[in-house]
Amino acid sequence: MLTTRSAYLFLLPSLTLYLLFVGLPILQVFGFSFFAWDNGIAGDFIGLANYGRLLGDSVFWTALWHNAIWVVLTLAFPLLAGLVIAAILADRNANVVRWLGAIYFIPRTIPLVVAGIIWGWIYNPIFGLLNFGLEAVGLGGLAGAWLAQESTALLSLNVVGAWTFFGFCVIIYLAAIQSIDPALYEAASIDGASWWRKFRDLTVPLLRGSTLFLGLYAAIEAMRFFDLVWVTTQGGPGYATEVLTTHIYKTFFLVGDFGYAATLSVVLLIIVLAISAGAFTLLRKP
Amino acid sequence: MTKSTRLFQNLLLLVFALYALVPVYLVFLAAIRSEADLFSGPLTLSWPINFANFGRIWSEAGFATYFLNSVITAVSVTILVLLTAPLAGFAFAKLRFPGKEILFALFLAGLVVPAPSVIVALYGNLQALGLIDNRIGVILPQAALLMPFSVFMMRTVMQDVPDELIEAAVMDGAGLLKLFLTIVVPVVKPGLMSLGLITFLFAWQEYLLPLVVFQTESLKPLTVGAASLQGRYGVDYGGIAAAGLIAFAPLVVLFLAMQRSFVRGLTAGAVK
Repeated sequence: MLTTRSAYLFLLPSLTLYLLFVGLPILQVFGFSFFAWDNGIAGDFIGLANYGRLLGDSVFWTALWHNAIWVVLTLAFPLLAGLVIAAILADRNANVVRWLGAIYFIPRTIPLVVAGIIWGWIYNPIFGLLNFGLEAVGLGGLAGAWLAQESTALLSLNVVGAWTFFGFCVIIYLAAIQSIDPALYEAASIDGASWWRKFRDLTVPLLRGSTLFLGLYAAIEAMRFFDLVWVTTQGGPGYATEVLTTHIYKTFFLVGDFGYAATLSVVLLIIVLAISAGAFTLLRKP
Repeated sequence: MTKSTRLFQNLLLLVFALYALVPVYLVFLAAIRSEADLFSGPLTLSWPINFANFGRIWSEAGFATYFLNSVITAVSVTILVLLTAPLAGFAFAKLRFPGKEILFALFLAGLVVPAPSVIVALYGNLQALGLIDNRIGVILPQAALLMPFSVFMMRTVMQDVPDELIEAAVMDGAGLLKLFLTIVVPVVKPGLMSLGLITFLFAWQEYLLPLVVFQTESLKPLTVGAASLQGRYGVDYGGIAAAGLIAFAPLVVLFLAMQRSFVRGLTAGAVK
């Protein structure tokens, strides 16, 4: 039928682009991971030997652990902050909402590379603002080389990640709150419910869909972020901020081990697809 | 609401506003101060504004070129996405055809594919196609990586087009493409605007693809330029601040000017 053919023609440009530059490489990395590679040339088929190497690769497990920490921290801080701020903002007048919403979102418009550079200064041990501020309020003892010591590097980077992300959460939550029927809140007010009770018993349960969406978004971002680490610590000091993506990058571009880099890519793909499949199942449930 | 609750809430709003703005303010401050008084004095604006850092970075460190490259790449990616994704979104939202569910699921799966996970194969493919160190080698994969989100968002936007509008046009015997261009596009203009803005933002922010694809200095965009500046000009803080500002100020201005449209785009995929 005419519309059937037209439908395929309508899909053709985007589908071609997508399959050629995303679909095909995905199939290729799966394929690459079953071979031994030498100088960029595929050698013998070695089955799952590359996957066996994962077990003994302590950098891989460290990186995976850091990604997991990043997921948890992102769910705990920017998501929660976004929810509370959005709930507060929802009661304020339109001008306040517009201005504060814009201010909170500004960091999200800044490229992560630039965010990394900016925060690199703030964390600088010698002239950084953070140490300066701590000394000014008499807490100079807490000052440190934030990105250069293993104990604080990952956490310090996460503060930067949260900086670029919480405004996004505010905007998504705010839009969802504004679509809630105001009569529900009015009824609660007539019953004498406090702000906190309305937040806990109305806002939070009604925003379940947005929370799942943002949770999924945050988890995926936590698995795939690269720019921020690469421009600040490149995974260091030691392996203190190593994540899967930096491990892939180093294995591929610096070590030149194509087969193992492909194997790591497959693991990353499987993890993000599994996370999203799980989230979609949850979203489908009423 | 009690007075103390409200006070506490205002304080929270303020603290997060400072969290968002202080780092931006610091960059601005460092960029407009001269080297001599960079570390002196309180965190107040200095007067007169010193543009020396911008001049140095713009002409000597090659940021005029980086800026132009960012514009070229981001605009190309945006145009490419705007020419392709709305058609697909319309097909998924309004047309019936065999394989629709599977094809849409294929796009959906791509929503979460991280660029670093395909780079291992993509790099070799680009090499084979002769697209390494070529703008096309960044523009096409970048548009492809943004395609799942764009198609998904366009499907949501197209669902809001009234069926009666389309049926009326079909009865007139309008060809589907003509119908799309004359009837559908005018109705979904705000949605297209949002898609364009978001695509532009993401394309401008991209770092990994241009980092690995471009070798020639004159092709690199701002993100790569700013990152390399950090190493080359290790102690030129005023210069790096000016570079950072050049790299993000256009996005901030664009966002503030088009806030409504941005927000509509961001929430289109999320709420439904």
